[in-house]
Amino acid sequence: MIRLEHVTKVYDVKPAVDDLSLHVDKGEVCILIGPSGCGKTTTLRLINRLVEPTSGKIWVNDEDTSTVKPEILRRSIGYAIQSVGLFPHMNVSENIAVVPGLLGWEKTRTSRRTEELLDLVGLDPGVYSQKYPAQLSGGEAQRIGVARALAADPPVLLMDEPFGAVDPLTRQRLQGWFIRLQQRLKKTIILVTHDLDEAIRLADKIAIMQAGKLVQYDVPETILSRPANMFVHDFVGVDRALKRLSRVGVKRYVRQAPTVTQQSSKEDVLSAIEHRRSVWVLDEGRHPVGWIDRANMSNEFSIKDITFYADQYEMSVTTSDTLRDALSKMLGLGFRSIPVVDENGRFAGELTLADIEAATSEMENSSHG
Amino acid sequence: MVRRQSFRWILLVISITAFIILLINLSWWKVTLHFFFPSQIQVIYPSNSLLSLVARHLELVLISSCLTVLIGVPLGIWVTRPSGIEFQPIVNDLTSLGQTFPPVAVLALAVPLFGFGLVPTVIALFLYGLLPVIRNTIAGIRSVPVSLVDAAYGMGMSRFQALIQVELPMAYRVILAGIRISIVINVGTAMIGAVIGAGGLGSPIIAGLVQLNTAYVIEGAVPAAILAILIDQFLANIESSFAYSAQTQMA
Repeated sequence: MIRLEHVTKVYDVKPAVDDLSLHVDKGEVCILIGPSGCGKTTTLRLINRLVEPTSGKIWVNDEDTSTVKPEILRRSIGYAIQSVGLFPHMNVSENIAVVPGLLGWEKTRTSRRTEELLDLVGLDPGVYSQKYPAQLSGGEAQRIGVARALAADPPVLLMDEPFGAVDPLTRQRLQGWFIRLQQRLKKTIILVTHDLDEAIRLADKIAIMQAGKLVQYDVPETILSRPANMFVHDFVGVDRALKRLSRVGVKRYVRQAPTVTQQSSKEDVLSAIEHRRSVWVLDEGRHPVGWIDRANMSNEFSIKDITFYADQYEMSVTTSDTLRDALSKMLGLGFRSIPVVDENGRFAGELTLADIEAATSEMENSSHG
Repeated sequence: MVRRQSFRWILLVISITAFIILLINLSWWKVTLHFFFPSQIQVIYPSNSLLSLVARHLELVLISSCLTVLIGVPLGIWVTRPSGIEFQPIVNDLTSLGQTFPPVAVLALAVPLFGFGLVPTVIALFLYGLLPVIRNTIAGIRSVPVSLVDAAYGMGMSRFQALIQVELPMAYRVILAGIRISIVINVGTAMIGAVIGAGGLGSPIIAGLVQLNTAYVIEGAVPAAILAILIDQFLANIESSFAYSAQTQMA
């Protein structure tokens, strides 16, 4: 889908991109990463011809980009940059309508598409279409930025630090949102970031660059388990075992666990907690509300008094979270197991520390085998 | 927002109407000026009516300012484009020269070439008003963040489309501020046109200076000051009626 062949870009005498070859297949997310000045942004800009290569060839959709007029080429490629890329003098729907406008779409088609896109990125068109960028939060602005890039439904998206300008929490939410969106849209995406965790979470393949050269291009699991050289080794860091956990979803490891409700009888509680240190307490809607510790039980007890109550979102992970998210929450809470909830917040089972350990050694074996 | 807008326009229309009424009723001027200058026998400039002096003054300002805007803004834009960027220092220097060169001297030089009257005055005013227009056009376009222009190109806009759809809308407040300054300066500077017979509100002032009649000077200066304020208000209203400026004021 996107193919770079021996592409070199020289500024003055120093090459910013040095003999780079890269293939990205249809529907894949390729993440360009490396220290600042490694040429990752230049590479991205070479693809939509914001930068012209000194030598080499680039194909997008099996078309040699040098044979297409740059403006025409760019209208067929989605381009999203940090939230500053929204035009402050245009409201949200006008911002989204820029490329359709350039392509000469009819007004009704454009406005229908704008609403569709706002729905797609999870923002209510009634609330947001007339707002100006200055009235949006960082996370909203970046969603709009992605919606704008998707406006003309391009098969290829180029994204330059699209989640760069937001706080870590919003960033994580946006990444989760991005993964779900990509599962539906299956676009071919090249994304530039300097955040390795982001790369590992989002990438089908990671391209690590150093001084204009591509040093390793592979799936995240391989990058983490078999770094090509010392540079990649140092770049991925000593905690790469931990990072690999963020490639594994919680879903596979969810196991059944006994639960009680606040209305359960003493006998139920006693039988549920047999052979266990604790048991999860749910409300009527099967949302976890807390837990009962065996150590806290005396002969006479009422469920309400011995339950530890906690915020549902703080004490549980969802099925779409990764093992790393789960581990980090368990360590934070001091749990040896943690409840897992589905998209609707209902109890789906639990995940134990032992499961995570097992997953880690499983990964270790598969990468050495 | 819309109500405040229309309120400003209504206020402006009332002000202009009041100004015209003031210009027509010369008897009011007569009474007032007699009160302040009881020794003067003649307090009203006899050659032209006040209304026709203001009209002539406005004519001088409008012609020269239109020229300034029509030439200054495109010139300012051009020197920010890749094709004209090398001329930016020269254009900057030349407009500075136009500003530092006294308009009276321009008149003195223009008279042998173009004779007396309207043409040399308009040329002097045009040169004098060019600097704020060109400087602000350049500054306005430069103030547009590079990343936004980059986004515009990245989405497939041509240079011209990026200029029209992104750069100018974002720069127009600064550009319009330059135009306002230029026009208000011109209202004052247009007085010198009277020296070479171009007429306008400078005529009673010159006559007043020559004949030591302060009443004449006031008769020229007061309407000119009011005229400058009204034109400035008119342009301010135009500026704030754009949606974008209303939005930034809110944010």
